[in-house]
Amino acid sequence: MTKSFYTVALIGNPNVGKSVIFNCLVPGARQHVGNWPGKTVEKKEGRFTHKGVQLMIVDLPGTYSLTAAAEDELVSRNYIIEEKPDLVVDVVDASNLERNLYLTMLLLELDANVLLVLNMADVAQAKGYRINIGNLSERLGIPVIATVATKGRGIVELKDAMLNAAGNPAQNGRRITYGHGIERVIDHLVSVLEKDCAISKRYPLRWLAIRLLERDAQALSVVKESGYAKELMEVIS
Amino acid sequence: MKAKEVIGEDAEIALADARYDAIGKILETALVRGERKWEASDLLDKVFLNKYVGIPAFLALLWAVFQFTFEASAPFMALIEMLFAGLSNAAAQIPNDVIASLLADGIIGGLGFILTFTAPIFFMFLALSLLEDSGYLARAAFVFDRIMNKLGLHGRSFIPLLLGFGCNVPAIMATRSIEGTKDRMITILTIPFMSCAARLPVYILIAAAFFASNAATAVWSMYVIGIVVAILFALLLRRTILKGEPAPFIVELPTYKMPTLSGTLLHTWERGAAFVRKAGTYLLAGAVLLWLLSVLPWGVAAGSADSLIGQIGQAIQPVFAPLGFSWQIVSSLIFAFLAKEIVVESLGVIYGVGGEADIQAALLASISPVSAFALMVFTLLYVPCLATVGVIKKETGSWRWTLFAIVSEVLVAYLAALAIVMVGGIFI
Repeated sequence: MTKSFYTVALIGNPNVGKSVIFNCLVPGARQHVGNWPGKTVEKKEGRFTHKGVQLMIVDLPGTYSLTAAAEDELVSRNYIIEEKPDLVVDVVDASNLERNLYLTMLLLELDANVLLVLNMADVAQAKGYRINIGNLSERLGIPVIATVATKGRGIVELKDAMLNAAGNPAQNGRRITYGHGIERVIDHLVSVLEKDCAISKRYPLRWLAIRLLERDAQALSVVKESGYAKELMEVIS
Repeated sequence: MKAKEVIGEDAEIALADARYDAIGKILETALVRGERKWEASDLLDKVFLNKYVGIPAFLALLWAVFQFTFEASAPFMALIEMLFAGLSNAAAQIPNDVIASLLADGIIGGLGFILTFTAPIFFMFLALSLLEDSGYLARAAFVFDRIMNKLGLHGRSFIPLLLGFGCNVPAIMATRSIEGTKDRMITILTIPFMSCAARLPVYILIAAAFFASNAATAVWSMYVIGIVVAILFALLLRRTILKGEPAPFIVELPTYKMPTLSGTLLHTWERGAAFVRKAGTYLLAGAVLLWLLSVLPWGVAAGSADSLIGQIGQAIQPVFAPLGFSWQIVSSLIFAFLAKEIVVESLGVIYGVGGEADIQAALLASISPVSAFALMVFTLLYVPCLATVGVIKKETGSWRWTLFAIVSEVLVAYLAALAIVMVGGIFI
């Protein structure tokens, strides 16, 4: 199904060239800079049209993870949960995949429709890395493309991929299966959470269950009002 | 079903580990590393990030910094001192007694004396810049994060704390990057314990007089004591008035780089120049003020017990009697609230003798080695200087916290110095 308008969130670790990509996609004059409502975190957004389809890009703060403890991380994850953008473009440093893919894993947990961008592909190559993009894409279950944003390489391909991915959400990226024990606890929490309609309508349940295990402040406050709060707390306390 | 029984105490870490495992498995097939090019970097990290060797390695490097500072700066200090000795002789020839005394005793005796310490300050910054530009300091932060997190402190605090070695003021401003008001408050309140460059002249003067061949080690021990006290004080705050859990922290470790000559010199110059600027403003004003107090009421012998500065020092000296500080030292400590270099400056003015050797002789005659070490520790720990108090007020936005910082730090300094005198008294 193709629409004529998509919302896209841009996310990534600090220092991966995310801003450069944003500037490549949206000309400076059409960027809008403000603050997230009630926060000191900067919000940048802008629109561009590709092949007749308009895309609205929101540049989320550069972070390593998506915990509730830091304001910038909370802004990013609330945006993805509440605004449900059509696509989340995750920009990673191709020369430092181990660390960068951590955020990707968290995005997949959020049930986001993720497009992975391996930026700084030239640096990775200079380091002697060879990345099998097809294999990476298959293993993660999401589309992957390579760019060198500072030299403008791969930007047209990126726009094509964005359009394609926004219109055809991957059937949920491959999730990590945690160890057998952890999975049993997660399944149990999900089965309790399912009973609360108010929660199951709003949040990806597997994600919420994992956050509860981590004793995430926001997740705890979400279930506090639930009728099943006691049952949940018994598991995680 | 109980999560703890299945997963263990720390689910957060178990889940993070599982994510990294999954990433590792994916990259096994998707990523071919080819020729490894960072062998040297990995090897160095094996040492510097090691659980057991990391901290000793940090302490050893820090020791090397001060050994280098001492050795390299000695000839330059002698040179600067000769220059001011010449100027002082020339100034003494001026027929007008008041002007001659102001120039020779106040400005040259005080300000000129502190300027001889420009050399060690520049060399220390040179050594620290090398450590920073090579990528080592980020590793030090990583190693300390591990301990600090175990103690319930925020690892990100260590970077502002390290900045405190240069000057406490920018270090306190750098705490803005710390999440969580409590974590940030703890860091602000502990930064003044980090030994800034202004305290270095005091250590060098005293250490060279009392600890001759071990002088560099004595100076190094101040930096170590500063770190230890900062951590203990933070722990105390965390357990009492600022309870809470620290947020996790990720340090980005840059690859090791060979520092460039121009980059290192620029870094050194930027920091060292701040000292010279301070000398031209605060310390010059301090020298004039101290000189006035040392010659008033007009007619008394300069810097004697009858002068204003002598009277102030003697009035407060009983408080410091248990530490074995003479009134001369007590007055210098009082005025050093303006800036810690003033300890050195005012000793120069009060003892009214020219040159490092003479002042050291005067110090040797007035206090014991144990008291001298206690004086170094007291200088390290007591009230931050005026500029630091100002920035604490600005960043905390509260007079109560500012007052708390001043009072608690004087108290800590006094108790630490007292402990040294008492323990030292048993052994010597």
